[in-house]
Amino acid sequence: MEIDWGLFADLFGRTFTFWWVILPAILLGLIVGAIPGFSAANTIIILLPMTLAMEPEIGLIFMVALYASSRMGAGIPAILVNIPGTAGAAATPLDGYPMTKQGRAQQALAISFVSSVFGGLLTTILALMAMPWLSQVAYHLHSVEMIVIMLFGISLIATIAAKDTLKGLIAGFFGLMIGYIGADVVYETPRGTFGFLELYDKVPLIPALVGLFAVSEAFAVIEGESILTKRGMDAMQKAGWQETWEGVRLAISRWWHIIWTSIIGLVIGVVPGAGAAIASFVAYQQSKTFSKTPEKYGTGHLDGLVAPESANNGVTSGTLIPLLVIGVPGGATAAIMAVVLQYHGVTVGPDLFDSQPELAYGAFTAMAVTYAIMILTVLPLARYMSRITVVSTIYMAPIIISFTLVGSFVPRAYVFDMYLALAFGVIGYVARKTGYHVAAILIGVILGPLLENYFLRALRISQGDVMVIFSSSLGNVMWVMLIISLFVPMYLDRRRKAREQALPTTTDC
Amino acid sequence: MSNFDNDFSRRLFLKGAGATAGASALSMLPIQAAFAAAFPEKNIQIFVPTRAGGGADRNMRAFTSVWKNYLKTNFEAGFYPGAAGRVGYETYMGKAKADCYNLIFGNMGPEVLNWVVKKPTFDLKSFLYIAQVDQDPGIVFVSKKNKKLKTIDDIVKEGKKRTLNVGVSRLAHPASLGVLALGRHTGAKFNLVPLSGGRNTRAGVATGEMDFGALPSGSVVRKQKQFDIVAVFDKANPLPNRMKKAVVVNDHFGMKLPPLYAGARAFGIKREAIEKHPDRYKVLTDTLQKVYTDPAYKKAVEKTKAPWKYISYGSPADCEKYVEYITAIGQEYKSLLTGKS
Repeated sequence: MEIDWGLFADLFGRTFTFWWVILPAILLGLIVGAIPGFSAANTIIILLPMTLAMEPEIGLIFMVALYASSRMGAGIPAILVNIPGTAGAAATPLDGYPMTKQGRAQQALAISFVSSVFGGLLTTILALMAMPWLSQVAYHLHSVEMIVIMLFGISLIATIAAKDTLKGLIAGFFGLMIGYIGADVVYETPRGTFGFLELYDKVPLIPALVGLFAVSEAFAVIEGESILTKRGMDAMQKAGWQETWEGVRLAISRWWHIIWTSIIGLVIGVVPGAGAAIASFVAYQQSKTFSKTPEKYGTGHLDGLVAPESANNGVTSGTLIPLLVIGVPGGATAAIMAVVLQYHGVTVGPDLFDSQPELAYGAFTAMAVTYAIMILTVLPLARYMSRITVVSTIYMAPIIISFTLVGSFVPRAYVFDMYLALAFGVIGYVARKTGYHVAAILIGVILGPLLENYFLRALRISQGDVMVIFSSSLGNVMWVMLIISLFVPMYLDRRRKAREQALPTTTDC
Repeated sequence: MSNFDNDFSRRLFLKGAGATAGASALSMLPIQAAFAAAFPEKNIQIFVPTRAGGGADRNMRAFTSVWKNYLKTNFEAGFYPGAAGRVGYETYMGKAKADCYNLIFGNMGPEVLNWVVKKPTFDLKSFLYIAQVDQDPGIVFVSKKNKKLKTIDDIVKEGKKRTLNVGVSRLAHPASLGVLALGRHTGAKFNLVPLSGGRNTRAGVATGEMDFGALPSGSVVRKQKQFDIVAVFDKANPLPNRMKKAVVVNDHFGMKLPPLYAGARAFGIKREAIEKHPDRYKVLTDTLQKVYTDPAYKKAVEKTKAPWKYISYGSPADCEKYVEYITAIGQEYKSLLTGKS
């Protein structure tokens, strides 16, 4: 597949002239991304009559802009009020929300925006340039390799457990157990559903997500007057534009971190069926593994915010590659975009580059232009958005609970899901009060079913031979990398502690 | 995009947005009660037991986009995926009112097979399919990038040397049954790997993780650049121009398999609704039959790239016959579908 750079340049300039489509799509995307339960996928379905009324090119630009901006929007409530808008933003509050509590919400938002935009922009350009090679990734990452990728994400439980091994592991296994509720993928046999039909299709992610993070947080913050610490409140009272610029500067100074974590997102996004949740947890785990200050993760560490935000935006362009190159969408939103284009009489697949290159390349130029316009529109809003954190918890807690309950209801329209969110809220609250890490539970809930899915598929392919997990050369290399990434930090940590212990002795001498 | 025909101008966009906002605002007003009229006087809900964006969604939207003109009302789709369609059917039977304002749109083939494997909680007699929409045969397909397997003979030959992995949407699926029957007949060894839906199945075959796949033809025939359809489980090849490499399994291997319509999508309703509101039911069935002959429906189907040839009306009696027939096949292969063989 040859890339027509002339056409690409022409398209790039032309896409900018559709700012009047991109701008409302960005605003809509930010809103639906920020509301738990809503997503680009269901918004595109709701707006189907409108996109059908548009020319295919404009419809595509609108959908792509909505998709990219909703990804960024999901990070906003995750940072400000500990409510990840989607599963892809589940790793964002791990360090984003502690920053907010410290009164650095504005910096956190700016870091999130810059990481998202540059991560998204970079991976969009990379996707376009390296499309023929990147599309090969899907041919090599099969279920065996995906098991290892999942374990990279799940191994975060172990690192979270480092502070209190037993509690961390209990929380992680508890999450994994919850994740296995539902019908199995082979024989569709319901397991652990307690007779609830609503659990047959697995524990829905949004109620689990908002329950564990947001509802439990609302229960917890109501005990105080503000979600901010006293110092945080002082900082927020004095905050001005300089905090936004400080965030921009801090994010740009981590340019290398943005690059490699967004590439993790791009590569995972290329695999059909993977997704932003996996990418953000894997990026977070890798970021922590290679950090010189891993102990700061979870306390408002900047790298811990940059990594998931860059990665989940890297996924966005990645999901378009299998759709355009092998005709198989990389994710739910890409699949729905394909359906919409089909209504326009456009069949999405490799022949689109020949038959309608303006659409095939246009998807990427629209994404690049969206990111460029987005940074200009969203960055000034950081200051005003962050003001929500100074609202008293008397108002904030009920708003969070009612907002999240509505969000839990939206994706499936089951009242059951609202009760489920409350139940997860109680579990999260008890976990917080007893020192169990809710993030460890959540990682199990999100990645557990995916791990099981790939594991059962691999077992089915090998007809029950467990050794299948070591049957691929690439997989084996990844196993070694996994082991290294788990044990090297432990070794380095031990060596650092030994040095620290040795240092006073030397001084004494 | 240099020759871009900018029909959709900025002004039109703003007009559209304004109109949408206006319409939304108007819909909030309590004016509906003032216009109480004959059935239907409100939107009709469609329960879909699969995910949004799939084949059922596509078919349902194409059909209802025309049906709404005859009923003078709109349709609202709700998607209830999970456990091979069980969630959708159980939700419909448990929660939908028996008032003819609630219908289900499912795929009779795999969903009835699933009932054979695991009985639903509702009485099967309390439910009825009222109109079959399409009749899409099961097929065997390979990736064009597969260098070894190019024809069904290659598949059978290779299957006699080693066990081949077959990507299927679900185990309890007519296309899966076809592959099992082919394996039994030829002695080739096929290992079915359920990949949860057509999209994942195509991905499994396209990326080379599966040796080949089996699905309803409609979900593969649109992807001719990526896949070759090499065999069809039907009386004859229904699309010889679009499935040029496909052989008819029965003819090619001397088998006597009944046609395995892997896609047999249909509208269903609670019997109670028909008994309570026979007049409404009549309106539904009278109007839906008009859709099949409406040129707008043909246009809507062709827009989705689905073969128009597969569209055929099946009466409630036809549907009942199909359900009996697929149930009988399911019983025959039950042990293979449940892994208890």
